[in-house]
Amino acid sequence: MSSTRRGNHHHHHQSPMASTLRPYLTCIRNTLDAAMCLQNFPCQEVERHNKPEVELKSSPELLLNPVLICRNEAEKCLIETSINSLRISLKVKQADELENILTKKFLRFLSMRAEAFQVLRRKPVQGYDISFLITNYHCEEMQKHKLIDFIDIDKEISELKMSVNTRGRLVATEFLKQFI
Amino acid sequence: MAKAERFVEADNAEAIITRIEHKSRKIESLLKQYKPVEALKTALEGTYAMTGDERCKSAHWIVVHRAIMAIKDVDGMLSSLDPEYYDILMKYLYRGLATGDRPTCDQCLRIHEKLTEKAGLGCILRFLTDTVNTV
Repeated sequence: MSSTRRGNHHHHHQSPMASTLRPYLTCIRNTLDAAMCLQNFPCQEVERHNKPEVELKSSPELLLNPVLICRNEAEKCLIETSINSLRISLKVKQADELENILTKKFLRFLSMRAEAFQVLRRKPVQGYDISFLITNYHCEEMQKHKLIDFIDIDKEISELKMSVNTRGRLVATEFLKQFI
Repeated sequence: MAKAERFVEADNAEAIITRIEHKSRKIESLLKQYKPVEALKTALEGTYAMTGDERCKSAHWIVVHRAIMAIKDVDGMLSSLDPEYYDILMKYLYRGLATGDRPTCDQCLRIHEKLTEKAGLGCILRFLTDTVNTV
């Protein structure tokens, strides 16, 4: 591996191995930020497609370019986007210090968007260590809204929000514990 | 190129490959003159980058990859690169990131960070949503 330093800034206090971690995480974060913008579609479109399209792949026109971001041969991140859902899969180095940093940073990033995401997928996509499925929660909320006409809707929704946030964090935490 | 773009058929692929080879020679010449930014512009320009079959796209990628790897001063490159090239560069960066080749990923990650700062998330969004013009 080339250890030639290029560019204007040096990462002091970091080993050469770690020097690509920050740009790798930044790239993933930027790509996710952009992909998540696409999740704020008007709900009348999403209501017709209420299953996560990225899982079903039932309509090719609803799928966008999948994005593969490799840090190197052994570490990569696959981001698959559709009209109403987004799937992120990670392959990390086994038993590695950096893997903890990556998963912790990642969990923090996703937690910041706790209102909008559910961690639904427990089995990783083939070839990866972990996969998250992110659906547009607010649109799901609207669906539930339709089903429960004659109940106090605000109360129902805020309770739902609470349970999803908690469940989402619990699932993510439990899942990631195996890597720590 | 004054000719209108035609729908690519098998025999047109040869014409595209020839143009790419011509481009490649031009890029090598520019790199010898220590003009990596000019080389990159040459590599990125031309709408035919996204036409043609997989063979054409691979040939084009090889040329762009050469130019990308020759960049040492990323900040300098981005300040002299016309914004019209941002979107096409972004597409090639993602192609580079998908290779898994360590030096390529290293370089593409460095450029991706700075290009996103300069071009914004919209640049990434356009890459994600353009399923027609792929590199």
